[in-house]
Amino acid sequence: MKEKWNCILYLIWFSYLIIAGILMFGHGFLLSRKTLDDVSQCLSHENLGCDGHESLTGTTDCKSDKIELFLNNPGSPLLCSSLRNRVVLILVDSLRFDFTEYDENLENPLYYQNRLPIIHKTLKKWPEKSRLYRFMADPPTTTFQRVKALVTGSLPTFVDASSNFAALELHEDNIIDQVVRSKGHAVLLGDDTWARLLPGRWLRSHAMYSFHTWDLDTVDTEVDSKIYDELKKDDWTLLLAHYLGVDHAGHRYGPNHPEMMRKLNETNSRLEKIIDTLPSDAILYVIGDHGMTETGDHGGETKAERTAALFAYYKGGFAGDGSDIEIGREIQQTDLAPTVTAAIASVPPAPSLGNVLMPLLPKMSKTNTLLHLSNNLKQISQYLVRYGEESQQVSLDRLAELINSTRDQIEKTSNVKTEQDLKTYIADVRSLIDNIRSVFREVWVEFDSLSMLRALLLLLLAVFFNWIIAEGIPVERIPHVFASSFVPTGVISNAVCISLVYTGFYFELYEDLESAIILSTGLVSGAITCALAILHWDGITQKWYEGRTQFYERFARSALFASAAVLVSNSYIIEEGSVLSYLSLSVLGVIAWNISNLKALGLWAGCGVVLALSRSYRGCREEQGDCWTAGGNLPTGQASRAALVIALGSVAAVVAVARRHVSWRGYGIVIAGIFTCAHWAVGWGSLGSPTRSRLLARVAWLCIVTMFGLLLKKDRNGPTVPLVVVGLLFYLANCLVLGASYAPAAALALLSGFLVLNIVGMMKIEGSTKYSLSSRCSSSLACVWALLASYHFYGAGHHPTLSHIRWTAVFHAGDPNYLPFGHAISFLLMTVSLFGMPMMFGATVPLLALWGRNGAPMGPRSQLAAVFTLCLKFALCFAIRVFSCALSATIHCRHLMIWGVFTPKLLFEAGACASALFGTLLGAALTAWHLPSQNRSS
Amino acid sequence: MFSLNNLELRKVTISSLLSCIYLPSIVTVISYRGILYSVGKGSSFYILVLIFIAELAKSFYLSSNNDIQSKRSRNKMRASDIVKTFGFLLGVMFCFFVGIILFGAPVLDNHEGTLVLSTLLTLLTIFPLVAHSGVETAVQLLFGVKSFSKDTIVAMLVNNALLTVGGAWLGAVVIPLDWNTPWQQWPIPCYLGAIGGYVLANVMTVLKVTMMSAANKYKFLNFFVNIMNKLHVSK
Repeated sequence: MKEKWNCILYLIWFSYLIIAGILMFGHGFLLSRKTLDDVSQCLSHENLGCDGHESLTGTTDCKSDKIELFLNNPGSPLLCSSLRNRVVLILVDSLRFDFTEYDENLENPLYYQNRLPIIHKTLKKWPEKSRLYRFMADPPTTTFQRVKALVTGSLPTFVDASSNFAALELHEDNIIDQVVRSKGHAVLLGDDTWARLLPGRWLRSHAMYSFHTWDLDTVDTEVDSKIYDELKKDDWTLLLAHYLGVDHAGHRYGPNHPEMMRKLNETNSRLEKIIDTLPSDAILYVIGDHGMTETGDHGGETKAERTAALFAYYKGGFAGDGSDIEIGREIQQTDLAPTVTAAIASVPPAPSLGNVLMPLLPKMSKTNTLLHLSNNLKQISQYLVRYGEESQQVSLDRLAELINSTRDQIEKTSNVKTEQDLKTYIADVRSLIDNIRSVFREVWVEFDSLSMLRALLLLLLAVFFNWIIAEGIPVERIPHVFASSFVPTGVISNAVCISLVYTGFYFELYEDLESAIILSTGLVSGAITCALAILHWDGITQKWYEGRTQFYERFARSALFASAAVLVSNSYIIEEGSVLSYLSLSVLGVIAWNISNLKALGLWAGCGVVLALSRSYRGCREEQGDCWTAGGNLPTGQASRAALVIALGSVAAVVAVARRHVSWRGYGIVIAGIFTCAHWAVGWGSLGSPTRSRLLARVAWLCIVTMFGLLLKKDRNGPTVPLVVVGLLFYLANCLVLGASYAPAAALALLSGFLVLNIVGMMKIEGSTKYSLSSRCSSSLACVWALLASYHFYGAGHHPTLSHIRWTAVFHAGDPNYLPFGHAISFLLMTVSLFGMPMMFGATVPLLALWGRNGAPMGPRSQLAAVFTLCLKFALCFAIRVFSCALSATIHCRHLMIWGVFTPKLLFEAGACASALFGTLLGAALTAWHLPSQNRSS
Repeated sequence: MFSLNNLELRKVTISSLLSCIYLPSIVTVISYRGILYSVGKGSSFYILVLIFIAELAKSFYLSSNNDIQSKRSRNKMRASDIVKTFGFLLGVMFCFFVGIILFGAPVLDNHEGTLVLSTLLTLLTIFPLVAHSGVETAVQLLFGVKSFSKDTIVAMLVNNALLTVGGAWLGAVVIPLDWNTPWQQWPIPCYLGAIGGYVLANVMTVLKVTMMSAANKYKFLNFFVNIMNKLHVSK
């Protein structure tokens, strides 16, 4: 039976088409802004002639102020300032603004309130020497994005969020490069994100690995041990220290926890000491790169995540007065880069869209202030011109308007005579730059609409023709299709296509190899599947003509389409958990109504109860106001005693019930289950031993992996038992990664799947014998299964938001980052913890066709055909959902919530689709492997 | 679905017309009094009582002067029958209550709203059936023991019931939307959806009967009658 491997090959082919389409869409949709590798350069002071123009000889003593003359010449280049300070930049990760506030009247401060009294004290004692501002971050508020934005002074784009774990070198102009270019030196202490982002720029660097999020102290103590010595040295221009403790405390415990109080107290004493030892020519900036939510996460665009703090201190005193120096004034994070470069007598980095903040710079003469402002304006106008040359994102009219108004402002510098003029001028410049910044913010995400459109087309093509194949071709014919040369032809033509494309690429006919391959193979595959549909057109039309589909069948399909269609609405995405449970329960209800006996009704009610129970694990996302404020968002830390008991009980019950029915394979499952339980029990509470618990988890994983290997052993009972075992193994794996507090949700998922299988089994008996084969692979089953699989993503307490990812799943068996394949293992664990449910349901799809052997016995060929059709339909359900997500992302690409709701949903749906495809492949391959092949008659 | 029995057809039409009139008028009156959004609360119990009375009256009309035999037997069994009927209705109501919660209504709070909705559903779906044909027949109909395709009145009642449940089901669609309107409160959309579904079913019945009688004169109307026949939910 070689056709069974052809079936699998076809499924792989289909998965490839879908995933390639998604990838292509991602490339177009998640494309970032154009990065220009220009650098800002400035004319050094010595090279300025007395006439205000550049001169090679240069003079030092002139009769009049040469800078003033220089400023009168609007076409001149940027000029370095002559006032040079040093800068100490302390980055306290996740320093939210309200951490820095101090309220004496607060009687019972929370763990994070009133913990930094030094800031309050300094502000009170030396109001002219210190500043405290709200430091507004732009989303996405992940550390890597923020660091990148801070050093370049630009706006981050979403695509960088995905490269958070593989920081790449920055190729744009930035603060550190400016320091180096102005012959200064920079010293780095702390987070190694900086070292990876900007390698080779540091005079000294003490960077430490930053992603051990459960480690609150190592990095901080290391930085502390170095920073005071560094402060005494005078060979640096910029001293950068990045403290991680507060962020990690937030991730691990949330802000309202004694550990956070400890970290903030530490920060307080640290700041006290730094302020004492600060050299007199150095300006201290203490900044947070982003805030955190009430659970200590960040990444999104809520106010709490965006509002960081900036505290500045300079012994010489700062400039500015009036409302500019008000405590808590909002400033943008883009403003840091031009301000810091101004402080070190350099010019703003080329891509910066920020505004030099005079209240954060030492007091200086009017001419120097004007010089900084004009440098700022000139750099921005250069950037506008260059950006207009490189990209058409901003319409030319608008860009020209912005450039003209910038140039007007530059010319106005010479008119500024009095202090009052200067003030209005500063305000004008600020509003102009704010305007420019908002224009860019609006258009920044440059979607590659061509590639998005192509990807949508390819997805549509693949989905449409495969839908015709899955729905149209009669099941009886499927073995013949796969016994023919159809699949080999397809694979060979794809291979030929790829080699042709590669040849073209080799001869440099085009540049983008990946999209060329995806596009050509997608089109060729579409053509081939279309040919198949045409060849079998008679069968398809006959089936559609004869077959009047049942009501439940149509209802199930419309429910699936509804679940895909509502993905264009943000409210439904936010409430998707309820929507999916509602829809799947409705479809099951209609199926049970169609069977119409008491047992089916009971099973349906049981299913409803299971789904209702899993509601308690569903958690909340921030947009769900009531639920969120009511504290429905469970803490991710230790499980309570009751949760532990329930988890242990659920695993024990599942294992005890299941083991009898899977013969010798039961032993492996029992052992894995026991180790899982032991892992939780030993690691629980303050008396638990974390090391032993981790060891037990590793042994449990070993058991699970071994059992997966043993699945290859054939026995005579056919594929049902191995499929059940796969389901149980996925269940145990899910339990392990979900942790004790969420493990019962996995048991509920398993139970709901089991109940549905029983309902489905009854449906098959009810179905008339004539159409038994087609009723076994009816699309309503695939739809129910896909709805359930999607639902249990929510049932396991997940939500499609970046800040809702529970990273603890990676660390339950020890930190894999120390291992040689650490990244691969963490990726795998994360995938299982997020998308374990679609994987589990995908792997058990063949059971829908094979469960319950009461019907007419089927030959292996028809079994395989039924399994194949079901698998294809199940995969199609997920493909349709992903397509709808991609479509909604395209429609809403300028929507307010695109980065908060739609894009994460697309990413998570793509992940779920990939996992479901993988699971389906696994299940189908297992079925093909275990199907008896000697029985050739069917 | 409908057989052309003139007497029954007239009864069906008139009772459907009555429902088409009384339910929208109730909704109109309460919306003009500005208490439309309190229908989910226990204070709106009088609406349910009104519906109960109207349905009861309709069922009396439907089963009146049917034939003398059944009337006589009805009179005989009345005392025990009423108790049984109420017990049955309470059971059905509880089933609706549990079902609604399973579908996603809040488990621990807002039982008042869920209870009101389940009462309404019982009144609009099972109650007319029970009142028309008695508990035993209703149970038989529910579990598919007895076929109803021959009986025009029962067919209409079943159709009404299905569309009512469908309307309540569809009403839930607006709940997740973030419009923050007062009518998105649980269970108002489902409540109004159920009433809407019921009225729609009755409107369709009236339309169909009108078409059928007019089709004798104008043949082309048969086309619409066929379409409407297909639209009716059937197993």
